[in-house]
Amino acid sequence: MKVSYKWLKEFVDLELSPEETAEKLTMIGLEVDGLDTYGSSLEGVIVGEVLDVEEHPNADKLHLCQVDLGKEKVQIVCGADNVAKGQKVPVATVGTQLPFKSNGEPLVIRKAKLRGEQSEGMICAEDELGISDDHSGIMVLDQNIETGTPFRNIVEPYEDHLFDIEITPNRPDATCHLGVARDLAAVLNLELNKPFDTEFEESKPLDDHIGIEIKNPDKCHRYVGKMVTGVEVGESPDWLTNKLKAIGVRPVNNIVDATNYVLYEMGQPLHAFDYNKIGGKKIVVKDYEKPIEFETLDHVTRKCSPGTLFICDANGPVAIAGVIGGLESEVGDETTDVLIESAYFDPGSIRKTAKEQNIQTDASYRFERGIDPNMQRVAAERAAALIADIGNGTIVDGCTDVHPVETEPKELNLRLSYVNRLLGTDLSLKDVEKILKGLELKVVSRKKDTLTLRIPTFRPDLEREVDLIEEVGRLYDYNKIPSPTHVKFSPPEPISDHEKLMVRLRELARSFRMREISSNSLMSKKDAEQFGDLEEMIHTLNPISKDMTTLRPSLQYGFLKAVSYNFNRKTEGVRFFEIGNVFWRSEEGSYYEGIAEEVHLLIGIAGKKSVEHWKTEPGDYDLFDLKSIVTTMLEQLGIEPFVEEHADGENRLSYRVDDREIGHLSVVGPQKLDYFEIDSPAFYSEFSIDRIEEVLASKSLPEYESVSKYPSFEFDLAVVVDDDVGAGELRREIRNQAGDMLQNLQVFDVFEGASLGKNRKSIAFRLSFLDKNKTLTINDVEPIINKVLKALEKRFSAELRS
Amino acid sequence: MLDHIKKIKNQIEQFSIDDENDLETFRLEFLSRKGQVQSMFSRMGEVPKEDRAEVGKAMNEVKNLAQEKFDTAKEQLTKKEQRKHTAVDDITLPAPPLSPGSYHPLTQTLDEMKRIFYRLGFTIAHGPEIEDDFHNFTALNFPPNHPARDEQDTFFIRKHDDPDKEDLLLRTHTSPIQIRLMLEKDPPIRAICPGKVYRNEAVSPKSYFLFHQVEALYVDTDVSVGELKETLINFAKLMFGTDVKYRLRPGFFPFTEPSLEMDIWWETGGEGKWLEILGAGMVDPNVFRSVNVDPEKYTGFAWGMGVDRIAMLRHGIEDIRILYENDIRFLKQFS
Repeated sequence: MKVSYKWLKEFVDLELSPEETAEKLTMIGLEVDGLDTYGSSLEGVIVGEVLDVEEHPNADKLHLCQVDLGKEKVQIVCGADNVAKGQKVPVATVGTQLPFKSNGEPLVIRKAKLRGEQSEGMICAEDELGISDDHSGIMVLDQNIETGTPFRNIVEPYEDHLFDIEITPNRPDATCHLGVARDLAAVLNLELNKPFDTEFEESKPLDDHIGIEIKNPDKCHRYVGKMVTGVEVGESPDWLTNKLKAIGVRPVNNIVDATNYVLYEMGQPLHAFDYNKIGGKKIVVKDYEKPIEFETLDHVTRKCSPGTLFICDANGPVAIAGVIGGLESEVGDETTDVLIESAYFDPGSIRKTAKEQNIQTDASYRFERGIDPNMQRVAAERAAALIADIGNGTIVDGCTDVHPVETEPKELNLRLSYVNRLLGTDLSLKDVEKILKGLELKVVSRKKDTLTLRIPTFRPDLEREVDLIEEVGRLYDYNKIPSPTHVKFSPPEPISDHEKLMVRLRELARSFRMREISSNSLMSKKDAEQFGDLEEMIHTLNPISKDMTTLRPSLQYGFLKAVSYNFNRKTEGVRFFEIGNVFWRSEEGSYYEGIAEEVHLLIGIAGKKSVEHWKTEPGDYDLFDLKSIVTTMLEQLGIEPFVEEHADGENRLSYRVDDREIGHLSVVGPQKLDYFEIDSPAFYSEFSIDRIEEVLASKSLPEYESVSKYPSFEFDLAVVVDDDVGAGELRREIRNQAGDMLQNLQVFDVFEGASLGKNRKSIAFRLSFLDKNKTLTINDVEPIINKVLKALEKRFSAELRS
Repeated sequence: MLDHIKKIKNQIEQFSIDDENDLETFRLEFLSRKGQVQSMFSRMGEVPKEDRAEVGKAMNEVKNLAQEKFDTAKEQLTKKEQRKHTAVDDITLPAPPLSPGSYHPLTQTLDEMKRIFYRLGFTIAHGPEIEDDFHNFTALNFPPNHPARDEQDTFFIRKHDDPDKEDLLLRTHTSPIQIRLMLEKDPPIRAICPGKVYRNEAVSPKSYFLFHQVEALYVDTDVSVGELKETLINFAKLMFGTDVKYRLRPGFFPFTEPSLEMDIWWETGGEGKWLEILGAGMVDPNVFRSVNVDPEKYTGFAWGMGVDRIAMLRHGIEDIRILYENDIRFLKQFS
């Protein structure tokens, strides 16, 4: 909201500069986002006499003018056609800042060469001086004005500074100059002057002229009607148009301008009806049970749902209450008699309508937030007086005030002990009273520790004691609250296992030379289809873009996107990891029924393991490059002894604990590589951190063991098996049979060939045995080897390869 | 026999090995199957029984001598060979590239914050990204008609016409974790809640539909704005340097009363301005009531800030989208 510095000064005796005022406003919660100027002081503009005009040698439309400025003579290049020898003209001398704006910046006159000719100043048109919008030619002044006279002696300059204030939703009272001025007065301890009457005697209704009826008092608490007759509709005087233009409001005519003026002055939206266009000379405020079509003054025919509140005359709706007027009853040039509407509409009702119509007007903005329910009469009288004054009209004696729902000021108690406890201050009751004084809160009673305050109806946000404490705090200035000399010590709580595990995994991943990525959790349905059945996934109901429809069921999406992105930018190999949440449909659900949400870890590699280099041959990553990382990770976590590998086909290896999958390692299939335009092999492994956490919590993990003083005994063993027997199965069996003495088990050779027989292969294992208490010999190991061999033979028809 | 042995010993000692050929000649002469050492041993039968111990010892000495000389010479020859300079002996050649692991800049900024909060005695709490209306809005004192509840601002996952059933949505802030914490345990509570949050917004350099937040919550008897202020200042100093210039000004949030915001003075290219870095306030009594904490007994403060925003500020990143593109050329600058 734009607020005028000049206008504020009508309410408070401000001695602060615009910059200081902006700072002050920000520090009391009326955050100033920008400080702008309107108009200018016209300093530097002086009256000059055109001594001579010649054509510009290098440009058809420009003229070279010799201008006498009194103290000096200068050459000015001028583009206007009406410039002529002997004229008295306003000249902006070098260094002058003009109110005219180009690209939002004030125009500053500089010495320049225009098409090769020197120009020292500018002969101004009216718009450039901010006098009018006229840009038809330069302004020609009276011949009798003396050359060299400052222009501001002839035309009074208009200069203002504008604060762009971000009004928080809890401050409806601050949506007008009066409200902003009140806060300033309060914090600066100044008097607040209201340049209008606030007290009126009860007056006789305008029943002879207009009947006013409220059919829905729940939606319209009050409706004040006031009339001015015999007005001349026309342009508003300069003081009014300047004030409105300064805050960015386009002047319309003196009637509309007057109602707008009152709106920005005291926050009460008004509507001016052409009285003679009101059918049946009656106003009815009501809603309809059926949908209504209605053309508003912006020439839009709007469909309004049942329940929309309208202002109607005898013929039907003339305005959508509190939002926008109708085309038919608008004030126009032919208008002579005006009915001013000053009403209070229920915020909820207006919000609903404005939202449905997707429109925000200055009126709806204020009604939605909640205006002062006791301001209607004051505003109507203020507007009537203004219209009568600038439109040469006559105020009709009397005022209709239909007021079915009255709002009484609330009373609130404020305990000093609570103020000081919450703020950490050491204020006295007197201090608090002084701070709150400027906000027009009336002290009803004062007891030892407690103030009872009457809350003015323009502050609907002050509902509770704590709201009053905020008022004390913001006016006192939070920066002034003393730092506590002694802060209470709360025993720190332990860091959760979940957090520790996430940090651990992140550190492990980095130690495996993985780069962390951070990717989108949302994707388009088209992308999502690559990862399974859409029915199994969670979707957003209302995304503003179709790229955000589906929640990732796996971290794979972000990995492939990142691979594709980087491969398109000449990266040849990547090592990535990510920790993030994934979602899918599941009956039981994690936190909410039907929705599983888990934290996952992804580790992925793709493309070149080594690039062309004098020391290494270029080569691609393969699945085992990733598997060694995953295996090491499981070992490092201490859960590897509990994990069983299970090959789900050739391209997916699942890791299970007690038959439950905790993660897997996969080759990215050709279809997905194709879809994501990746032309190198890619592999990824994804683990559920929640599952790992469960395993860690449920299993007793190995503890520290002293390192054996005795050497290990190694034994090599090659077996021939059918080629559908997995090395993993053999390993598991060897482990089970060999027992605790087996420290390490590696495969050092895999071989197939005709000599072994059809569909047979040989796998060579190296078994390392260790005993903590003695040096092992073949005599200790032999029985174990025999046991292993027997078991392998029995389960897998394995033969010892001689 | 002992003389013969001595003769062989002398021969061995005097044999000079200068190159590979000499080495091979030496091996053939002494160590091969038909070499002198082996034939010496084969003559053991000629030795009288009583002398065998002495002769055997001498023979072994000769054998060891031959083997030792051979090994030493071989090792030296190999070393000599290695010393031969080749093109790849140039140690100024570049080594093969090694790409290190790294943390995402968002993680690094969050880690920095965590370290500070841990020092201030806070623990850490997590929660789900899909939340219900109660945890995300109602319990946090958002009025039923608050604009944040509009479809235009929030991603909904499930909507019910039945008012008794809670709508599900993607959390718009990490405050629901605070609600979970307060429902779970009694004060004192002192924790930070980091995580991803979502806004149904158009993507632009300044805004993305997801970002990361950290919120802090402290509830105990007699927590005041004074303590809040002290914590904020300590945080700002540890995060941005002890000479950081800051100010507190009033703000507005549904879940705190009073509410305030903190600005820090930020200079780039010689020009400075106030930048809002976080929102804060005293936990609203309505929030306490919704989680069954007695607002007369307990007070508390809460504050929150955007991790993305602070990361962008620290590193001079202009466009938030680059944080989610995962461009290696970007990521590797934060190793």
